Amino acid sequence: MQSAFERELAQNRRKYLVRLKLQGLRQIFVIMGIVFMLIFSYIPMVGIIIAFKDYKLATGFTGFFTSKWAGFSNFIEFFHDRNFGVMMRNTIVLSLLKLVFTFPLPIIFAIAINEIRNSKAKKIVQTISYLPHFISWVIVAGLIFSFLNGSTGLINQFLMNLGVIHKSIPFLSNPKYFWPIAVISDMWKGMGWWAIIFMAAITGVDVEIYEAAIVDGASRIQRINHITLPSIKSTIVIVLIMSLGNLLGGGMGGSNFDQCYLLGNSLNSKYSEIIETYVLTMGLAQGRYSYAAAVGLFQSIISLVLIYSSNFMSEKLFDVGLF
Amino acid sequence: MKRLTAEDVALNTIIFLIMFVTVVTILFPFYYCLVISFNEGLDASSGGVFFWPRKYTLENYKTVFSNEQIRSGFLISIARTVVGTFLSVIFTGLFAYGLSYKKLMLKKTYIGIMIFAMYFSGGMIPYYILLKNLRLLNTFWVYIVPGLLSPFNAVIMMSFFREIPASIEESVKLDGANDFTIFFRMIVPISMPVFATIALFNGVGHWNNWFDTAYYTTDRSLRTLSYILKEIITKADLSSVSRLGAGDAGRASLGASQTYTPETIRMATMITVILPIIFIYPFLQKYFVKGIMVGSIKG
Repeated sequence: MQSAFERELAQNRRKYLVRLKLQGLRQIFVIMGIVFMLIFSYIPMVGIIIAFKDYKLATGFTGFFTSKWAGFSNFIEFFHDRNFGVMMRNTIVLSLLKLVFTFPLPIIFAIAINEIRNSKAKKIVQTISYLPHFISWVIVAGLIFSFLNGSTGLINQFLMNLGVIHKSIPFLSNPKYFWPIAVISDMWKGMGWWAIIFMAAITGVDVEIYEAAIVDGASRIQRINHITLPSIKSTIVIVLIMSLGNLLGGGMGGSNFDQCYLLGNSLNSKYSEIIETYVLTMGLAQGRYSYAAAVGLFQSIISLVLIYSSNFMSEKLFDVGLF
Repeated sequence: MKRLTAEDVALNTIIFLIMFVTVVTILFPFYYCLVISFNEGLDASSGGVFFWPRKYTLENYKTVFSNEQIRSGFLISIARTVVGTFLSVIFTGLFAYGLSYKKLMLKKTYIGIMIFAMYFSGGMIPYYILLKNLRLLNTFWVYIVPGLLSPFNAVIMMSFFREIPASIEESVKLDGANDFTIFFRMIVPISMPVFATIALFNGVGHWNNWFDTAYYTTDRSLRTLSYILKEIITKADLSSVSRLGAGDAGRASLGASQTYTPETIRMATMITVILPIIFIYPFLQKYFVKGIMVGSIKG
């Protein structure tokens, strides 16, 4: 005799099997993806352990566990590196400069483009504006070299022809110019792209609110100030939190690495060496895997602290948060 | 017609200026690049070429395209872009399609695994160790396999799939179609905007990637166009370009005068890399604004 409980259990199992059969293929699609993520995302996460070890490349995956512990010695060595201060400064200052100068630009651009009445002109300008996003930093670096070149560079030629300067400006060989170049090229590349998100937020605003404001006699600037800006506030805050989270990577676009790698050279390394380029040099070029992993982990931890604290702050201040 | 107030005029002027500066600063660099690439190198280096080639020539492009390295790089770049994009869109699409099913068993666990992978990563070094131990280093597949699934793209796709009414799907299912056929016959055509968007992101990413060639391969035959361009640009000395000229042995032995310079070769190569992007841009851009907006609002 089957008890009622057992009968119910068997029934449930049958139901489950039917459900599983119905979604069997979908399960397979998803499991393939999950397996992929376990391999390509989770194995490297386990691999972070080598930051606290003395890992040899030849030991493979088992080396993650079998290699000798090194404690915090890799981190301590990094803190005592004679370039540590310079790298930290470059990484942070470059990102802060981008936050101050690049971040507001897409917002201004999105508001400005929203004020264009001619929908055709609007579309053309917008289409052009996000083209640089799809152009690689390699190309941008090439353009920068040919525009800012000391003798034949376009900008120097132009300024000399105008009589503004009489001797060419050494944009590329004087390291002082590295940060401005990085910030301006970041603005050039990212403005139109990031404006898309703010444009989406603006188009989401109810047209009736604007119409009511017009009836009440609000001017265009008043409408921008009192309707458009407040309605995209939460989008601005969310993008800001994400930028702060990636502060060490170069803000929203995360452009620090590409810029410093491609535009950096021995002349400007005092301003262009950042943590990420250092990880690459130490790890993949010199083969000091544990040390490089420790330096990389250091940057990740700071990023994590930054994203959580900025999220916390914004929840307190604006009631907007990511999580 | 309403009369324009002083404020309107001021605002319109500012807006016009912003737009004008934006359009010119974005388009002119590409245009200048194009002009120089059609100009004789020695002539260009004396300066003064701004808006139109002074001594028009095709020699820069001939030199670029007669170079074995660049030709092979071009083919590798096309291969990785086409194969990589195709496989990634299918793989990510199937994953997102499966995961968008409301009654999927273990759905919460799967989503948890995915979201964690979106926020945390092991970083560059453990990733390199992984690729090495999977024996992917120095193979063509190192360009393809690691990019097969992007959780971010999967999230964008899922927000699209969720909008599809279940009733349509049920009716197809009654006809005896399985999930695989439903995906290709129904989901893909309906969700074309999102597939086009993801394909565009993916394709451009493949086309522009130089990093994996630089650090995950050593074999010369695996070099991509973007990598070669990166070499030409960052080693902006004659060495990388004279190698370019060396491929042209026949002409060199004839002693024909060479008019190209590193600068003009660089410009011609840059245009070669940019052009394919410019060509697909208008076709796909009508989709991707829609795609990215849906993704950014719901994602």
